[in-house]
Amino acid sequence: MKKRTIIDRIKTSFANIKANPDAFKSGLLSVLVPGLGQFRNKQKIKAAVFFGVFILFILIEFATGGYIYLFSELQTYPGDPLYIIRDYGGIFSRGLWGLITLGKVTAQTMYRGNLVSAYNKVIPWLSADNSVTLLGNGLIALVLFSLYVGVWITSVRDAFTSKIAILKSGKVETGKQYIKRIWVEMFPFIILLPTLVMVLFFIVIPFLFSFLLAFTNYTNAVKVPLDLIKWKGFATFTKIASDAGWVKIFLSVIAWTFLYAIMASFTCYVMGMINALVIESRYVKAKKFWRTLLIVPWAIPSMISLMVFRNVFDLNGLANQLLVALKIMGPVSNFLHAVGLQGVVGDPIYWFIIPENGNLAKAVILLVNLWLGAPYFMMLITGVLTTLPKDLYEAAAIDGASAWQSFRRITLPLIIRATLPAIVMTFTFNFNNFGAIYFLTGGGPGWPTAQIPTSMYVSGGVPGQTDILISWIYKLSFNNNAQLYNIAAVYSILIFLFIGFISVYNLSKSKGLWEDD
Amino acid sequence: MRILKKVLATLVAYLWLISAVTVVLVPIAWMIVAAFSKGILLTGVPLIPDPSKFSLEHFEYLFTYMSTSSQTMADYPGAFLRTLSIAVVNTIGVVFFGVITGFVFARLNFIGKKKLLLTMMVLQMFPSFMGMIALFLIFRQFGWLNQPMYLALIYTAGSIPYNTFLVRGFMRNIPKSLDEAAAIDGASNLQILRKILFPLIVPIIGFIAVSAFMAPWLDFMLQNVMLPARDQMTVAVWLYRTTDPFNTMFYNPLTFMAGALLIAIPVMIVQFFMQKYMVYGLTSGAEKG
Repeated sequence: MKKRTIIDRIKTSFANIKANPDAFKSGLLSVLVPGLGQFRNKQKIKAAVFFGVFILFILIEFATGGYIYLFSELQTYPGDPLYIIRDYGGIFSRGLWGLITLGKVTAQTMYRGNLVSAYNKVIPWLSADNSVTLLGNGLIALVLFSLYVGVWITSVRDAFTSKIAILKSGKVETGKQYIKRIWVEMFPFIILLPTLVMVLFFIVIPFLFSFLLAFTNYTNAVKVPLDLIKWKGFATFTKIASDAGWVKIFLSVIAWTFLYAIMASFTCYVMGMINALVIESRYVKAKKFWRTLLIVPWAIPSMISLMVFRNVFDLNGLANQLLVALKIMGPVSNFLHAVGLQGVVGDPIYWFIIPENGNLAKAVILLVNLWLGAPYFMMLITGVLTTLPKDLYEAAAIDGASAWQSFRRITLPLIIRATLPAIVMTFTFNFNNFGAIYFLTGGGPGWPTAQIPTSMYVSGGVPGQTDILISWIYKLSFNNNAQLYNIAAVYSILIFLFIGFISVYNLSKSKGLWEDD
Repeated sequence: MRILKKVLATLVAYLWLISAVTVVLVPIAWMIVAAFSKGILLTGVPLIPDPSKFSLEHFEYLFTYMSTSSQTMADYPGAFLRTLSIAVVNTIGVVFFGVITGFVFARLNFIGKKKLLLTMMVLQMFPSFMGMIALFLIFRQFGWLNQPMYLALIYTAGSIPYNTFLVRGFMRNIPKSLDEAAAIDGASNLQILRKILFPLIVPIIGFIAVSAFMAPWLDFMLQNVMLPARDQMTVAVWLYRTTDPFNTMFYNPLTFMAGALLIAIPVMIVQFFMQKYMVYGLTSGAEKG
């Protein structure tokens, strides 16, 4: 089948409209009033359904608005209402107004000759605007409104296509037939409804909300509900892109994020494979015993293991205690210094604390992650090993292949092919592995003071040397002295783009996944 | 020569395994010893178990300490029950939504199905963290902070997209002829789902149920943000409090070890008990995700 471009589609639909002027009239009537086209097509029940939804929409708008007070209040409160929709609009119009303006009236100001308070029970329009509420309500209104527009478009399409069908067959589909057909067609949507509502309200709307914050000035300097948030376009983007200090810190955070995600996935994969191969080799007895012991880290909640390791690498923790007890503190500390991990030779070793030891902290993070992550790949690869075709190895042995050759040429490619999606998944997981950083080092050690731009000290949300992008975003959003929601949102969008890219890649690789049989 | 090679290989294999197991077990052993040691200092934890330093004081603290006098229950058991209730609600929700959504996408045809699936595919790639700022601001605005059940809803909703794919993938491997035979006998869609498909998809249900039950025990971020009140603490938040050196009032790494041990043991039991399902789900998710 040839792929149709959008232009082609538009062309054919125009041709379709030209060829059926009578049906076009029905469609046009439904554009004016939903259901009117169906009425013209003599499909009364259908017309009633579409018209009913239309009326319901209008009713909701009226019932949630203050339209009935409009005229009486214009006389009792002589001041001009600057924003009629704000004062009297219903859920849809007021929602969209809020989304566009983010509010206009603040508390303790005069509006229409009266003092505005935080919340006025009697006269709703004398309550101050709260930008966060307005943004949230606005998104809900926008989503509901779009859904309604979808119904409207359906009614126009239906008026058009069923008129064509009527003209062709000369028969009018009765309301009963229609309802039966719609029930069958709608059944999936009806039982999906709770799911869709959940996804919409807890995933899609919050996601849009975060996305939009990037285009505002919302930081802890804006004290909602006393102040209003304002749309700023791409100001935050340009601000952090033009500040050389921010860019430098950002680049080092992103470099470490990638290094961490790649190294963490790679080391766990290799270690898991070695463990699986050793256990499954013919030299090892009691395979189940060894496997169970090595799976233990996977069975412990990772948050707990990470916090245990935070204590292991404490100044007084197990690591330093062991080094002292085994009397190898000096050599180990010197070695770590010689290979460039430790900035200054320490006794005891300051694993996560002093700025000179940034590389050491990073190395420890990767080691701990190896402890946590290797069992997953061990299980996965053990599973793959059991499915390998035996005859391949027999054939290879007959051809005189050595053990190493048959591993290199048969086992390894088969394992990699079977586990490739898991590797990609682990990479994206590690890219956003907040816990591995936050619980272990908390992002520390800090950067040397000179490397942090002054503007970052002023605004707050300073990252540490081991912070990856997601843990930095967390600090930017929730550190009490930062709450730089707009900057955090900008970085979130970066993650969004990156993960989106990977998911598109994954999609292209696994077409069969969502194609129907 | 051959025998020598074999002996050498066996030796290397066992040496490797023994060192790997040592690395795996030493931190765990240290954690257990620490949980039963006296005091609040890590230096007080003996490397070799020492009866003179043995103490149950941390466990006693877990079950008696109350940070406010108005509480009816000590902090730790309260936090435990709170996480447990979130876990139970989340499990029920996840199984309900997972079965229904997976069924619809595996078996029914409808307009816009591909587009919806594509949306789910994209949504499951994003960590729930992405919407967290917004969830926090919205929850604060609507007064839903400090309400564990609303938090459970976030967990449930967040897992829908991924589970849809897991359940759908599993159901598609069940021959359609089974449903068709039942449909000919007059069974409705929901009857087919309940009587025929449900018993067959128990393995994948087991996996998503266990994962859903585990989720609140493993997560800290959302709980810390959505339940900021001290009397609405979850186990994760409680544990973090004891291991945060800046929190001078509650910092006590040994108490942390005791509290962590009490969580780790039941979780480990569940994990090992459900290992069959877990391995199945992990591999199938990896192959299809």
